[in-house]
Amino acid sequence: MSDLGNEPRDEEALIEEVAGAYRPRDPRQLAFLPAWHDLSPAGREVAYARSVTQRRIEAALDPQGYSGTVRAVLGRIAGR
Amino acid sequence: MSADLDVHLAAISAGDAQAFGAWLALAEPSLRRGLRSFARQVDVESVLQEAALRTWQVAPRFERDGRPNGLLRLAQRIGWNLAVSETRRLKRHPVTDPELLEAGVDESQRYEQALPDPFLREAIATCHEKLPPKPREALAARLGSGGAVADAALAERLGVRKNTLLQNLSRARKLLVECLRLAGIDLEAELG
Repeated sequence: MSDLGNEPRDEEALIEEVAGAYRPRDPRQLAFLPAWHDLSPAGREVAYARSVTQRRIEAALDPQGYSGTVRAVLGRIAGR
Repeated sequence: MSADLDVHLAAISAGDAQAFGAWLALAEPSLRRGLRSFARQVDVESVLQEAALRTWQVAPRFERDGRPNGLLRLAQRIGWNLAVSETRRLKRHPVTDPELLEAGVDESQRYEQALPDPFLREAIATCHEKLPPKPREALAARLGSGGAVADAALAERLGVRKNTLLQNLSRARKLLVECLRLAGIDLEAELG
């Protein structure tokens, strides 16, 4: 389950979270965002589509044209 | 698109992370699109980031095959293999039409010229300036985190509930997309 304490987990909030670039790190296996597991199949499709738009916006607002995904990967490479 | 992203390969192979960032900024849309058919089966963002990281790790040993965008094709294959592997690990039904999957891989041989697009960048920046304070603050927090901070922690920094942060992020994007539409730019249609 996702870490939202006692807050209700509506589909829209889950989609928004999954559309973000943050992902947990687990050295043992590929780690999925917990919210992704809580999403319906249709919600996962929406989250995918939203991530496409979101990454484009992020890249446009970044001085180097890097999306959140690029920043996250570079952060992992740098060991941050 | 005729340009070859392998122009970055020598620097990437030498361990230049900034060169890899420049490569990934251009490769990312194609990599993500190639995983679209897995969206119901796996967390595409996780798979994409892991595929990119593994591509960085094997790049020094990569040998070109004479065709353009070799590193991009390799990254797409790594992502595809990861997605299949994760689908099996999660014991889901067979993914989807193999031809569709293969099309996604083949698609990686070209890439979208996402940058530079100064007109779109300027339009998005202008619309960003017009956002109300709360959505703008939420979006700035996400951008500033570089994908390295969980939304729960971002919300705590801003002194709001996580759901409030997510609502403001959703509102920010909707307002941005609408602002761009009024400026004659259909961002979602452009992205296909």
